[in-house]
Amino acid sequence: MTRMDAPSRLEARGLARARIRARRARVRTIRRRTIRGSLALFAVLWVLVFVQLVSGNDPALSHAPRARRSPAAAHGPEPAAEPELGEEAEASLPEGEFAPEPEPEEGRLAEEEPPEPEPEPLVTSAS
Amino acid sequence: MIVVGAVSAGPHVFWITSRAAGAAALVLSSLAVGAGVMIGSRGRVLKGMGGDVKALHEALSLATLVAIGVHGAALLGDAYLHPSVLEISLPFASSYRPFWTGLGVAAGWGSAALGLSYYARASIGAARWRHLHRFTALFWALGIVHTLGAGTDAGQLWFLAIVLAPAAPAAAILLSRMGRRAAAGPGGGSGRSAPYGNTASPVASSTIEIATAGQASAASRSSS
Repeated sequence: MTRMDAPSRLEARGLARARIRARRARVRTIRRRTIRGSLALFAVLWVLVFVQLVSGNDPALSHAPRARRSPAAAHGPEPAAEPELGEEAEASLPEGEFAPEPEPEEGRLAEEEPPEPEPEPLVTSAS
Repeated sequence: MIVVGAVSAGPHVFWITSRAAGAAALVLSSLAVGAGVMIGSRGRVLKGMGGDVKALHEALSLATLVAIGVHGAALLGDAYLHPSVLEISLPFASSYRPFWTGLGVAAGWGSAALGLSYYARASIGAARWRHLHRFTALFWALGIVHTLGAGTDAGQLWFLAIVLAPAAPAAAILLSRMGRRAAAGPGGGSGRSAPYGNTASPVASSTIEIATAGQASAASRSSS
């Protein structure tokens, strides 16, 4: 094993220091880029959620539970007035439950719903 | 644009911030897990880039923890949910979807504990720390399940694309590495101290089970 002379030892130390400096600079660059990238990602996601919200397509708002009207409250005191398709669907449900309304399309809740047409009274042979 | 949006978002600003931070945390954690698995594979994947990937893994992990903190803290300002500090910090204490939110809180604390334990590695012991650190993947999977189960945007295509794009490769690398280690048996066949030898199967199987549960939950929510 040969001993290094003084100048080459100094040279090796300088080289090692330069490598360490380069390594630290590289790590700093990576950290800085990661921070910038993370902030950019957060900003993009924030804007996406915001645009979704203001455009009325937000999933939380469009899936919010709607207040359901009971047929009695909706149609007044006339007991015979029932929707045409309601009879069969409600017959299979337990007492006190109503047929579920179809899910609204996303974003539709933000818009004003058109008024529901008055259901036609049920006409039987007795009436 | 965010400032303009924040002003016009009004009362929703905290909610939007929390959702964006949560999604960012998931993306960043997936990238961090991917980088971490690459560090574990050393010479096979990196070929001289080990130092860079290690620095990237550390930076991504810290960014993830910050994003998780913002995700939880921003909810404190939300006027609709209005959770207490206990609700956002104690698992299963939240009144909003307690199970799925609880998984998220547990995942956040677990990730923080296992991630920050790196700085106490000297007192923990390097081998023991490495053994513990592997369970970060489990908390990452819990975070994904939390997102699919409790996330407002979990049914949105753009959200799934953003979140799953980095998660899928990370999961694939992780599972292939675990499979390799499991096939090699205890000791892993390498000179190192069995990085995935004995713990591969429990972590892998529980990660898969949890991820499957989350996907089933998201599927049932989207179909209902």
